[in-house]
This record gives sequence, structure tokens and C-alpha cells, in this order.
Amino acid sequence: MRPPIALPRLALTACAVLAAFASEPESLKPAGEEPPCCREPLELGKPTDKSLYLLDSTWTSDVGRRIKLGALRGRPQIMSMFFTHCEYDSPNRVRELKAIEGKLAPEVLGKVDFLLVSMDVKRDTPAELAKFRANRVLPRERWTLLRGGDDDVRELAALLGVNFMEDARGQFAHSNLITLVNGEGEIVFQHAGLSQDPTLLIAAIEKAAHEAKR
Amino acid sequence: MRRAFPIIASILALVAVRGVGRAAEPGMAEIPATIYRPLFRGEKDAKEVPVAAFQLDVRPVTNGEFLTFVRQHPNWQRSRVPRLFADEGYLTHWAGDADLGNARAEQAVTNVSWFAVKAYAATHGKRLPTTAEWEVAAAAGFTLGEGKQDPEFQQAIARWYGTPSPLVVPDAGGGRENIFGVRDLHGLVWEWTSDFNSAMVTGDARGDTGLERQLFCGAGSVGASDRENYPAFMRFGFRSSLRAGYTVPNLGFRCAKNP
Repeated sequence: MRPPIALPRLALTACAVLAAFASEPESLKPAGEEPPCCREPLELGKPTDKSLYLLDSTWTSDVGRRIKLGALRGRPQIMSMFFTHCEYDSPNRVRELKAIEGKLAPEVLGKVDFLLVSMDVKRDTPAELAKFRANRVLPRERWTLLRGGDDDVRELAALLGVNFMEDARGQFAHSNLITLVNGEGEIVFQHAGLSQDPTLLIAAIEKAAHEAKR
Repeated sequence: MRRAFPIIASILALVAVRGVGRAAEPGMAEIPATIYRPLFRGEKDAKEVPVAAFQLDVRPVTNGEFLTFVRQHPNWQRSRVPRLFADEGYLTHWAGDADLGNARAEQAVTNVSWFAVKAYAATHGKRLPTTAEWEVAAAAGFTLGEGKQDPEFQQAIARWYGTPSPLVVPDAGGGRENIFGVRDLHGLVWEWTSDFNSAMVTGDARGDTGLERQLFCGAGSVGASDRENYPAFMRFGFRSSLRAGYTVPNLGFRCAKNP
């Protein structure tokens, strides 16, 4: 029973070969390969009253793209704040997020993104974020890594209920919180604490994916 | 030369004091550069953090002042502000968008979100004080720079923190002024700070000398430096529970400014 795994891999390779030789590679790219930060924005009108996408702050992704959070509109975001130099629990939280990713059915997975926002304004450059993505093998088509300015990070954290402080060694003590925002950018579920049962979070993700416009 | 030195020093000190007096703008007091001893800090963090000189409003912002602001900036009126930036309680003690109703103009404004007060400060060319700035201003006694050594001040604080909030917020500016000329840092309302969410407290002083490891990354590294300081624990606990859109009936603010 190995072929079901081997076949898609073959298909992918074929796609890559085709793309390499095609005169219009853009049109041959499999749908969804663009990272979430680089998708064409949807025309969805003014964000709702409770949407995080009302924020006007500008962020930079690990691929160097400058975006407003509203660029992610349309698809639910499973988000967490982190920093790449964490000596304590951040690796566990990313592992936890990846475990959640692993538990989602393929049809749900195709309709949600994962979003990591750094609180380390000084050290987490786009290059550091890119390195983190590579080390952690975070799929490009689904994971966004963002960095922002001091005030903007403080503001987003204050909205999400993420408390944080930096210590003398450049480590951040911070709330362990996974936030699910729906396609409209509204907070619909928050999962607090490490290693807690994710059943409710997964149910909320499935519901948000079902309602999503993208 | 040795004898001349103290004289020169005192002349310099006089000049400095004069300079300070001139710097503060009307309604604000100059808080000189000082040292902040954080209540919560990492195990390797310095016990003392320098805080540069700054100016602080001598009293909290009032309903009347906030009314002027929302008249000039209608997007901050209560029927127009998006729920993201202020919850349902925003200015509910007023009768309408630009109508104080039974609220007195002289009372400290409350039921205001962090976003709203940040916008207010910005339109006045000011900003919110940081937690460190607020705490050093609030640590000053009535007659001594160190409130801890001022028994009258200590008693007044203990009295307020041990008393339930009055139903009606008292007028701003009625409290006794501290040595810097600032009033009502204790005894009137809680106040927003720019980095209120740098506090990580989940309960009270007994439980929070170490933080809960499940909820906070790096928790083991942060501890309280002064377990006896209950008012500070209350302030940090309160700030820690806030979010930027929250409004609370006894939470107001004042502005700060660089010198």
C-alpha cells in the first residue's frame, strides 16, 4: 500500500519539471503554492467592527514582503506570537502548532493558514525568520512568519491578550496563547497554555474553515 | 580649587532645578531622571533600571477634556468606534456620543480603552507613560522622594487599596500632591500605561512569586522582587488582566511627554 504516497510525489516532480520548462510558469504553478502573504488580495469591502484587519500597521514577512494584516483576509489564521531565539517553550509551541496541522483533514488544511508573529523586534529580521522556517520545515503555502515595529507588536499583543516582557538576556517571558481568527479577522477561539487538549481548538478551526471565503 | 568645587556644584544644581521648572508645560510636572526597581524581573536582570526625566500630567484626564476630544475626533465617539478598539462599555457612563449627562466634567474620565486614550494623547502631542515611568512617579511620597519612607503616604495608599471603588468617580485633581506636584496617582482611579501588557501576573502575591509554567513561556525566569508591596501586586495583577479594547468603570489615564 505504498503507491498512494509515492504517486503524489511523482505528480509534484512532474509539475516542477513542467514549470521549469514552461514559457508561462506562473499559470502552471499548482494553486496555493504562493505563501499566504503574497496571494492576490480579495475584494471583500470594509472589515467588520471586530476585525483585526482594521489595524493599519505594516509587517514584513520572511520572504521580505511588506503587508498589512488584512492581506491575509479570507482564510482563517491560526496564530501565535513567538521569537526565534527562545530557550524555553517556543520550540514546543511551534511543535504543538505543527501537531495541530497534522490533525486537520486535507479539506480543512487547504482552507486555513498558520501565522507566527515575532515579538523580538531587534533580532528577528526577515532572514532570521526564513532560517527558522527552513529549520522547522514550515510549509510555504500555509505558514506566514511576520516581524513588525515595536509599537505595532505591542499593539497586536495587547489586542490578543498576549503579555510579554524582555529580560536582560534577550529572552522574552510571554503568554502561551494560540489564537484562531476567522476569515474576517475576528478572534473566534483562544487556546491557552502548553500541552492542553486541542479538541475544542480543532473543532473551532473546522467551523471557521467551513465558513471561509477563500 | 578643592574648596571651590562644592560652590560650583551647588550653582550647577540650582541651574538644573531652574531648568527643570521651566521645562514642564502647564498642567504637567517634571519627573527627574531616576531609578526604577521593577516588581517583576528576570533572574539575571538588573535590580535597578534607569528612567529618563519626563513630564507627567498632574492629574488624570477628565470627562470634560475627553468630551472635547471626541467632538473634534468623531470617529472616537461611542456609537462610531469599532468594537475592536473599544468594547461595549466605552463611555457608557455618558448620556450620548457628545453628551455627558449626569457625569461631571471635572471627574476623571473612565470607561476608556487603551486605543482611545493613546489617540487622545497623540492629538495633544503627548503619549501614555510607560509602566516604569508611572511607577516611579507613583512611588514618590508627599514630602519625601521615597514614598516608602513617608508614613503618611504609606497609610494613605493602604487606605485606598483596601477600600472598594466608590460608585461615583471623584473629581480629578482633589488628591494631595506628591513631592513632584503630581496628584491622584493613588486614591482615584486605575490608570492605563503604554506597555500595560508587559505585566504577567495570574493571581495574587502568594501565588505569583513564580509564574505558572503552562501559561507563560520563560516563566521560571521571572520573579517578584518585593513580596511585601501589595499595592504594586494589585496594580500589576490588574494591568495583566487587561486587553487593549477593554473599558473599566474605574480605569482612566493621564498623559506623559518627553522633557
